[in-house]
Amino acid sequence: MVPAEYYFLLAMVVFLLGVAGVLYRQNLIMILMSIELMLNAVNLVFVAASRTVGNVDGQIMVFFVMTVAACEAAVGLAMVIALYRRYGTVETNFLRALRG
Amino acid sequence: MGEWIAFGALAGTIIMCALFVVLGRNPVGCAIALVIKLFALAGMYGVIGADFLAAIQVIIYAGAIMVLFTFVIMLLNVPPDSRSRWDRPPVEFLMVGLSVLALFGVGIYLIFGAFAGEGVEVLTRSLVTEQGGNTLMIGRLLFSKYVWPFELASILILMAIIASIVIAKKYNTEES
Repeated sequence: MVPAEYYFLLAMVVFLLGVAGVLYRQNLIMILMSIELMLNAVNLVFVAASRTVGNVDGQIMVFFVMTVAACEAAVGLAMVIALYRRYGTVETNFLRALRG
Repeated sequence: MGEWIAFGALAGTIIMCALFVVLGRNPVGCAIALVIKLFALAGMYGVIGADFLAAIQVIIYAGAIMVLFTFVIMLLNVPPDSRSRWDRPPVEFLMVGLSVLALFGVGIYLIFGAFAGEGVEVLTRSLVTEQGGNTLMIGRLLFSKYVWPFELASILILMAIIASIVIAKKYNTEES
């Protein structure tokens, strides 16, 4: 059996890649995709930990995280579409209506 | 031994595809890399023994959510990034690098310092089979202990449906 630490390490690497993507990408759709990467990394931690803890409560948490992720993707992409209609771009360096 | 081989192959796929999602310039390529990464993660769930979640991962993530992403990318006809990725002020690289490094330190401490030595397998395959399988265990728990969160999740989804319709609707600003 692979120790749970290895799964945690893999999840941490994917989570940090997601953080770097959110901080660094300028395309709003790519930022949403990076958020999905981070949510997936957290899911992997829940599943790997549920095996060492000895019950399936962690897997039910993953179920709820997936529900929230689906809602977040739907609302986020709707906002991207509304922004695109209003400004004609989805790149954050062109969206500066709130910058003085 | 078999779990090590599967873990190595799937971990390599996941990290390569995640790198491509973060670094790739073309949104369609990034979306396809993310789909491959989600499939590899479903395989990882299967390796760990969460069979139900592996199926759900393929259906919800790789099916529904990624179809939504690719649909929006096609609908908006998103071009590749206009600015080059490296044509940015150095302070931005510094800030991203510093925050990632700080989080890396916290993660290493949590994994090998605070929670070290707790990685003993309790929920073995034979134990799960004894209790009727992974899906039956999740179903029993979901409709007894977690029945209220389950119902609230359905309300959340309804709210998200209404919100996304209202946000993305085209309003006629001339009349109002």
